[in-house]
Order: sequence, then structure tokens, then C-alpha cells
Amino acid sequence: MSVANSSHRAALLRVLLILLVAQNLARCQLTPAPVQICHSFHCFGEMCYQEAEFANQIAECEPEEHHCELIQLTTVHYMARCSPRCEGEIGTSYSPCLLANNSAPSPGPCSLQCCSGGPLCLVLSLGHLTIQEDKLVLTPPALVRNQAVQGVLCEGDSRQSRLLGLVRYRPERGVQEHALFLYNHRRMAITGDDVSLDQIVPVSRDFTLEEVFPDGELYILGSDVTVQLDTAELNLIFQLPFGSHTRTFLQEVARACPGFNPETPDPEFLWLSRYKCTEQKPSQRGWNSASGTWPECTRKGEDQPSIGGGGSWGGALLEAVQAGRSERCDEELEGADWEMSAAAGSRERDPAGGSQSDDLRPDGKGLLVDQSFRGQDKPDSLLTRQNKSKSEITDMVRSSTITVSDKAHILSMQKFGLRDTMVKSHLVQKEEDYTYIQNFRFFVGTYNVNGQSPKECLQPWLSHGIQAPDIYCVGFQELDLSKEAFFFHDTPKEEEWFKAVSESLHPDAKYAKVKLIRLVGIMLLLYVKQEHAAHISEVEAETVGTGIMGRMGNKGGVAIRFQFHNTSICVVNSHLAAHTEEYERRNQDYKDICSRMQFCQVDPSLPPLTISKHDVILWLGDLNYRIEELDVEKVKKLIEEKAFHTLYAYDQLKTQVAAKAIFEGFTEGELTFQPTYKYDAGSDEWDTSEKCRAPAWCDRILWKGKNITQLSYQSHMALKTSDHKPVSSVFDIGVKVINEELYRKTLEEIVRSLDKMENANIPSVSLSKREFFFQNVKYMQLQVESFTIHNGQVPCQFEFINKPDEESYCKQWLNANPSRGFLLPDSTIKIELELFVNKTTATKLNSGEDKIEDILVLHLDRGKDYFLSVSGNYLPSCFGSPIHTLCYLKEPILDLPLKAIRELTLMPLQTEDDGSQLKNHMDIPKELWMMVDYLYQNAIQQEDLFQQPGLRSEFEHIRDCLDTGTTDTLSASNHSVAEALLLFLESLPEPVICYSAYHNCLECSGNYTASKQVISTLPTFHKNVFDYLMKFLRELLKNSAKNHLDGNILASIFGSLLLRNPAGHQKLEIAEKKKAQEFIRQFLYNSP
Amino acid sequence: MAKQYDVLFRLLLIGDSGVGKTCLLCRFTDNEFHSSHISTIGVDFKMKTIEVDGIKVRIQIWDTAGQERYQTITKQYYRRAQGIFLVYDISSERSYQHIMKWVSDVDEYAPEGVQKILIGNKADEEQKRQVGREQGQQLAKEYGMDFYETSACTNLNIKESFTRLTELVLQAHRKELDGVRTRASNEMALAELEEDESKPEGPANSSKTCWC
Repeated sequence: MSVANSSHRAALLRVLLILLVAQNLARCQLTPAPVQICHSFHCFGEMCYQEAEFANQIAECEPEEHHCELIQLTTVHYMARCSPRCEGEIGTSYSPCLLANNSAPSPGPCSLQCCSGGPLCLVLSLGHLTIQEDKLVLTPPALVRNQAVQGVLCEGDSRQSRLLGLVRYRPERGVQEHALFLYNHRRMAITGDDVSLDQIVPVSRDFTLEEVFPDGELYILGSDVTVQLDTAELNLIFQLPFGSHTRTFLQEVARACPGFNPETPDPEFLWLSRYKCTEQKPSQRGWNSASGTWPECTRKGEDQPSIGGGGSWGGALLEAVQAGRSERCDEELEGADWEMSAAAGSRERDPAGGSQSDDLRPDGKGLLVDQSFRGQDKPDSLLTRQNKSKSEITDMVRSSTITVSDKAHILSMQKFGLRDTMVKSHLVQKEEDYTYIQNFRFFVGTYNVNGQSPKECLQPWLSHGIQAPDIYCVGFQELDLSKEAFFFHDTPKEEEWFKAVSESLHPDAKYAKVKLIRLVGIMLLLYVKQEHAAHISEVEAETVGTGIMGRMGNKGGVAIRFQFHNTSICVVNSHLAAHTEEYERRNQDYKDICSRMQFCQVDPSLPPLTISKHDVILWLGDLNYRIEELDVEKVKKLIEEKAFHTLYAYDQLKTQVAAKAIFEGFTEGELTFQPTYKYDAGSDEWDTSEKCRAPAWCDRILWKGKNITQLSYQSHMALKTSDHKPVSSVFDIGVKVINEELYRKTLEEIVRSLDKMENANIPSVSLSKREFFFQNVKYMQLQVESFTIHNGQVPCQFEFINKPDEESYCKQWLNANPSRGFLLPDSTIKIELELFVNKTTATKLNSGEDKIEDILVLHLDRGKDYFLSVSGNYLPSCFGSPIHTLCYLKEPILDLPLKAIRELTLMPLQTEDDGSQLKNHMDIPKELWMMVDYLYQNAIQQEDLFQQPGLRSEFEHIRDCLDTGTTDTLSASNHSVAEALLLFLESLPEPVICYSAYHNCLECSGNYTASKQVISTLPTFHKNVFDYLMKFLRELLKNSAKNHLDGNILASIFGSLLLRNPAGHQKLEIAEKKKAQEFIRQFLYNSP
Repeated sequence: MAKQYDVLFRLLLIGDSGVGKTCLLCRFTDNEFHSSHISTIGVDFKMKTIEVDGIKVRIQIWDTAGQERYQTITKQYYRRAQGIFLVYDISSERSYQHIMKWVSDVDEYAPEGVQKILIGNKADEEQKRQVGREQGQQLAKEYGMDFYETSACTNLNIKESFTRLTELVLQAHRKELDGVRTRASNEMALAELEEDESKPEGPANSSKTCWC
């Protein structure tokens, strides 16, 4: 399980995870019929729907949505939701769509990942879609999104920095446990390697993390937040940076505290045992990955030094901390956030590393097992799953061909480095636009000096009879044949020959040495004319030994590469294997030099350069190819006859090149000079030693590249120091020179086009509508206005965001559905703006303190913000109006001017009986009277009154009749009127028994006299209403034989409506409820 | 190769609805001009890379809704800006009068040290002019701002004003900038001609250069 799970998780981390939080209106339903519920989630990742975290994400469906469906949008993109119809039924590949209230599943074609061989992972039971529990993949411990801060641990006088991360673990459905992981860290903590686990504090029942205010210190706004962490064993003080990041962190921790709900089990923290274990085992990377078991005690050794080492979690921790840090920075610098490219670069992380994933695992290894799953999976199934996941990962990588727009997409995430690279590559592509070819003269010379020191002037070789070249490339072989040179790499000859060459360069010009590189006896010198020095750049030199053991430097090659103006040039000097018959060895040496010679690039992220990746290659040296098939005398005779052409036919280099064994694509000039090997030193005589070597053209110069003209290729007989003669060649080489003006233009063009591309790839959408008017909004009557978001060409995430200082993205009576989501290019989504005024929002709309007016901010991730304005008018209603206001309204509420309603609604509640202030009031609200009277007339014997739900449509009719004063036309079922009465009482901003009297009532519940006393203290209108209602209920009880009502039923219904806890909507404790019922009951059985 | 740019910061366009903020932005970033007016309802931005003073600067320019009813929201974007364009329309006295209100909003909501520049746009509509050039200059002087009359239509002073504000922001952040500068000049240093880093101990390197 471990491996399959982890690599599966790793795959998940690569993909974006969006959760569509079901945000259904908490709607008062007239009909408390069983609410349709469906699974609701939106996830990305192979079989992501199996994750435990989705297991209990249930949403209530809209009335017209009778289906639950699961849609597989792509192989890694799933959505489950309520649905009005089964889209999958229309012969598409969508799969199972289930009629929610129907017990018979009607799965479409199974295009889902079916669990291995078994039934669908999703099954229908109890009327809705569930995920089979045993198929769930539990979410491993994970860092709660972005919840980490850097703080200072204060112990006495010591101050130590710690990273605090909140980690969540869900051992089973609906259960979660948290722990605070404290980490030490080195320096600024850039990577996961800088972080090591210090200790873990389980968020247990006795855990508290609270802000403290040090004694005697003035609280300064913006100063660090001091918090105290307390558990049974621990007491730690931290200082956390001021700011919203810390604030959210503390809130998140507070939310993680298990609280004292007796129903939830005590957290056990079994999952922490692996971190707590003190016994250290040798760390083994990739330990027992095949066996799939979880050793009792392994992690300590690994976690300690390298939690998150190279893994995603360390990075996530740091990222979370950095997010906080930069935020703080923002505040301190007051927005002067300079995003230096280097700093941004260090923060960039591999997007596959999980930066976008919702939850990140704390081990950072991608090898983590849920203990509960230990041993459940057999190793073989593990392996197959692991392999599968791996191959899929590769597929993903392969299929993610980067298109231009993708690049720009990444760019907009401010990947500065990538942008640089793109500018560079565009510059290379457009090189011809801003460069022209200019010829420069190159001198190339090679000389095998046979271990001798310079004894004669080198000018005949280097500068006689030519114009001063622009560049000198001078190579030597057998510079030093001593053991010291071979073993210690040190020789005085280097300096001697360097001096000799420097002194013999062309006298008409001044030269600068660019580079000297030597491998034992193989040396290469590069000089440039002084005036060209500024145009030489990116000089790199390397050596490759191919001698003894294939590595030593007695044979091999050295090379210098550089950029001259805009042309890249590589000069190679090689000394290949000796002896006539060893041409295969020479071929091999050549190939080895080609493959092993690698130059670092300025940008370390780029792969190293090889010889072949240059515009111009000049290859010189003692290549050691001989003349074969001819005896020495014949060779010498042909030389005497200057029949070089004939002789050349027997040259091994010629035949090997012709056979394409070596030097492919290279050119060599015609050999018009006699072989340069082997002479008696100090003479022009052929070798007279015992070996009597046959003459050979050992010393050669070849080239490759465009715009190269060889002007001369010759040997220099005048030099007699060695048993070789030096060879030289002069070239005119066409070099790409930059026209500064054109270059700047091209660069500007490229930058402009990149800017343009980047701008085109800022997410952008079009909205079908931006202003919404809701006309004549009525109490508890849903109005929906919809619009569509049409996405442009860039995939984007949209979300309605909170305006500053507001807790929600819109007013309480409004809801956008969905309020966030993900849009593929060119796709559309319909958003519904649902306006629903309920009891909590009605009063302020009646009073005019609130208006149907709002601006919603639709934000695109990394993109722009759109403002949507919502307006409308609300029709005041008796529902939501205070009792005393209604008592003064002699007219139907809708017949009154808004101003009058406003004034009356805002009028304070009088506790004294000073109704005399305003004459012409009624004793109770006429609307209440109308409803009660209707029930009294029609429903006194109605069975199950107040217990059967009414109809929504009838409620709307009743509301309109009450608000327009047309009750004579009222025709509704008794149950609807009864429910309207209950709603009326429920929506009173001040309950019939005022909040202030609530506790008194509970206290004297059971004592009728005291209870009556409390009632008598109520404001007159409230007291009237109470008396009136009790009278009515007593009337009902008189008919209990018919209507089956009894005191307990009525007391329990009316108890919670007339007596409401001032603290608000909290669930009442049973004892409190009972007391409220008892209080009401007294009045039902006792006449006043 | 030297970096293509070194710093990034945000500039913000504010001013009454219809003074041409979006047009200024379009002209500057895309060299386009559309004479029809479509109200920006929201907040938009575009990127642009320019070179100022030898430093490649990436600027993110935010274009805001000018309509009054959105101002409580758009104000919240001020704090993220390092430079602000206050734009009026030379053919609208009203938009000019409102600059005072915009300035006080900036003072209240923008970070301290934010750089401001005054823009009188639509300079091509000479026949409809209601605000004199000297009035603009006077106002700019009062607030200690630079002033440009621009025309997105005829591309007058567009590049100049954006570059000027960028310069001002750069100057205001001189300190941070010096660090950037040093690095930039190092990067542009000429090729190392004589240095052979791989063998610093070799006797040959004692005479580093050979000017023959």
C-alpha cells in the first residue's frame, strides 16, 4: 500500500486540486421533506475521488435536482454533484449518473476507473452516491494549507528561531487530528534540507495556543505577537510576526483544537508514533519499498536530518512561511515590494513539487503509509499499482508538450529565468537580422617539439611572410617527455614555449593572451589582437586524456572554446596514438576527445557544450596518421619527386576520413609540403636512427564551419629543434559581427513580443452580464439572476473574493453559485446569483439600514478583477418586523411609504407602557390576529395542526395577503397558515418573550406564579401577544379529541419560538429546551 | 549574457471615468488605440518591459475602474503600487477638478513614498479644451508632481510619461537599486582575457598578460 499510495499521491500532487465547496443557502424550508443530498466535489488526479477527504463531502441539492452524478471530464478530472438530469444518459462517455431517490442504480457506461476487478468504486446506497469505504484512500498527514509560520522560541533569555507547521491527519472518515510540528532551521531556510524536526506537539484536548500580553509592556500595534503554548507537559513561549498570516495561523490552530464535545473521541495520535520514536535506525532511502510494510520505528533517523529533503513538504512549509514573510515585508515596506529576479528565482519551485496541491505530506519523501492500512495490501498488488502510477507519471510528462502559450503561461508566474532563456533563444533565431559577416585572419599552428626547449626563433613559423593575423591558435605536442611532467603535471617547458611564442608573434600588432591550456605535453595557446579583445567572451578550456589506461595525459587533446563577436569557435589540439598500425587507436582517441570534451556554459542550468556545437571548429595537432603500404625508400623517392599527390593516396588520415571513420564534415587543405616527420633533430635529414621511421604527415590542421577560406597550409623546414617540423595554416574566417543598432532593435522587438504574448496570456474572461437588478424582492422568495463566464484562451481559476474588511464576498442575502471554479480555455460556466431574504436579513431591509445593493468582485487567479453590481428593491413585509412596529401599522405594510416603515422599525422597544406617546395603536399586530383568527375559524379541529408542513406557494400567498391587507381573499390550507404563523414568530427580530427576560423565564420555569410575574414585566405589546397566543393554544387544547394536539406538542413547538436564546443560533442544550417547554406548558394548563 | 531585466514594480492609473486610462495603457503596451469608450468595470493589468537608465524594468500597470461607485473597492488596490498616474481629460473641467479628490485618496490609501505624476489626456482635442495647459502645470506644481499632456490617440508623450514615472520610482528606490546596479555592471564586464582560473598556481600565470 505504501508505495502505491505514495506514488499515487505524488501523481496527485502534480495536478491542481479544486474543491467546490457546496455553498447552499441555509434555507428555511416550508416543507421539511427529506432534503436531497449528493456527493459534491471537484477533484483532479488519478482516482482522486477515492480520497477520504471527499468521502463525506455531501451537498444539499436544489429542489429540481433529483440526480446525483459523477462525471469524469478527463482521465484525471472528476466531478460529483447534484444534477437536474443525467447528462451521461445522452450517449456520452460520462458515467454513473444516479437517480437519487431511486434505489436502482442506473450507471452509464463505465468509463470510470473501476476498482481493480471489483464493483464500481462508487456505489449507490441510501439514495445517494457513496464511495465504498474500503476503497478509500486515506489522506495521509499533511500540512494544513499554507499554515506555517516562522517564530522565535523564547526560553529564559534564549531566543531561537523555529518554523511552526500545523499538520493534519485524518485516520478515518470524519475524524481528524492535528499536531504542531516545530522545526529548527539553518540560515534563511531556502530548501527542505535547511530544516530539521525539533519536536511535535499533538493538538490534544489540553492543548492551548493563546496570545499573551507580557506584563508591564505596552502593546504596540504592529509589534510581534507573543503566544503561549500549553499542554500537560509543555509550556513554550513564541514570538510570531505581526500580520494577517500569523492571525490566520492562530485561527487555524484554534480551529484544530478538538474542543470538549463529548461525542467526538479523544484524539489518539497513533500516527505520531513514528515521529516520536527515539530509537535511531540507519537511514535507508527507498527502504523496504517492495515489502510494503511499515516498520514500527524507522523514521526518526530519516526525518531528523532531512525532513522534506528534496521533497515537497519541506518546500511547502517554507513556502508557507515565506508567504507570511513576504506579506510582512509588504506591510513594513508599505508596499515597496521589490521582486528581485534572484529572490524570486529561489522561491520558484518545481510545479510538480506540489506547490499547488491542497495538502502536502510532512515527510517529504513521497513514501508514507497510513497506519490503518498497514499490511492490507499484498506486496504484488502494490508493485503493479506503483508501476502503473509511475508509467502514468511519465506519460503525463511526455504528453505535456510545451506550446508557446504554455510558456507564456508559466511566464506570467514570473519565472524570470525562463524569460531570459526565451529571449536568448529568440535572439539566436533572429541572429541574421542583426549580424553581418566580417572576415578575420586566423593563424593556426602545430608543432611536436619532442620534449625540447625552444632553441631558435619561432618567427619563421609564426610570422614570416604573412600579414598580422587577428587571432593566433598555436598548439604543441610532446612539450615535456619527463616523468615529472607526466606525474606532477608541472613543467618549466610551458613557460619557456609560451615565452618563445609570445616573442615571435607578428611584430605589426599587439596581442593579448586569451588562454593557455596544457595536458602534460599537449599545450594550446590562444592570442588575440588587442583591439579585438573586447569581442572575445565565454572562454572555456578543457582537456581529455586518452593515453595510458585510456585516461592519462600522454595522449589526448586540449581545447579552447570562445565566442568571437557572435560566432562560437572551438580550437582543438590533439596528440593521437602513435605507430603505423595503430590507426584504429587514433580513430578511437579522436572519438573519445569528441565525446568527452565538454565545456561548462555560463548558465549552469544549460547542458554542457560539446566540440560539435560550435560554428567554427579548428582542429590541429600531431594526429600521428602515417603513410602505409609503401616502403620507406619508395616514400622518400616520391617525396624527392614532390609527388605529394601520389603519396597522399597512401595517407592513413585520408583513407580514414574517406571511410567516414573520423573527422566527418571536416576539410583539410591540399598537402603541398613534404611530410613533417621524422627528421634527425637539428637537420632536415630523414630519421637515421635504428628504427628508421618512414616519413609521415603526422602534423595536420583541419577545419569545419561556414565562411572559412584557407589561405595557406605549409610546413616550416627552417625550424630544426625537433624531429617534427612545425605546420601552419592561415585562414580568413567569416565571423558574425553584431550591428549594435540592429541588435537593440531586435532585442526590443523580442521583448515587446514576449510582453505581448505574456499579456495575451493573462487570464481573461467575458461576462454575459455585469449589472443585476432584482425587482420587488419579497421575504423568503428566491430570485435568481444568472450570467455566464466565457473564458478566453488561458485556463483560469475564478473566485468571488471578499472586499476589504468584509467577511464574505457578498451580502448575507446573496449567494453566487458556484462561487469559484476552474475554466478550461474557451469554456463557459453559468453562475447563478441567488437572492433570498430570510429572517436574519429581513429586519434591516425593512428598516432601510440595509439595501439590495452590493458589488461583487470576481477575481481571476493571476489575472484581473471584475466588478459585478447588484441592486434591487425590497418589499417590506410583516415578516421580520418587530411586534411594536406592527402594532402601530394600522395600514397594510405595503400601503405605507417606505419612510414611515423605516421610522417605525427603528423605533426603540419601550419597556414601559407608554403607548400613549403614539395613539392609534393596536394591542397586537393585526397580521398575527388575522392568522390566528383564520386558524380559530377554520382549523380548530384540524388534525396534526402545526405538525404537517405547509406549501411554499401558499406561504407566498399568505405573506402577500398579510402585507397588502387582503386577507379576505386568503385561501390556503390550514397547515400552510399554521406554518406561516410559526414563521412569523420565528422571524421576529425580538422574540415574544424578550431576550432580556429569557434567563428569568428559565429560572422560574415550574413556578407558575413567578412565571406570570416575569410575563408581566414584558413590554405591553409583547405581553399582549403572549397572552393572546396562550389563549389560542388553550382553545386548541379544548379540541384535542379532534385535533390530537396535547400540551407537550404545543409546548415544544412554541417553546423554542417564543423563548429564544439571546446568544443566537447555537444549538440549545436539552435541559434548556426542556425548561422552555415547561415554561410554556404552565400557561397551557393554567388560566391566568 | 546580462539579465534581460532586473526589477519589477507596479504602476496604477487612476482618474475619473472616461478620461482615457485604458487607452493610455493600450497605447503604451500594445501601441493600439480604440476611440470607442468601454468602461473598465474592475481592475485590469498589463505587463511591459522597458529600459530605464540601463536597467531593464518590468512594470505591471494596473488600470482601474473610474466610476465613483467602485471607488471604495479600487482604493484598496493603491497600497500595492509604487507609482501612480493621476489622469484627467483636458476637455473636461470636472475631471480636472476631481484630481484633488483623487490625490487625497492616494494620500490616504497609497504607501508612503509612492511616486505620482499628473497626466492631462486627450491633448489632441484642442477644440474641446476646457483645461489650459498652464492649469495642469499649476496643479502639478502645487502637489510637487511632474506633468504631461498626452494623447493616446496621436501617441503624444505616452512613452515619455510612462518612462518618467518609472524613472521616479527607480530614483525613489535608489538604495535597493544600487545593489542591482553593481550586479549588472559585473555581469557586463568584459571577457576575462588573461585569467586562467583552472591553474592559478602555475608559473606561467605570473605574467598574466602578454602585450607583445
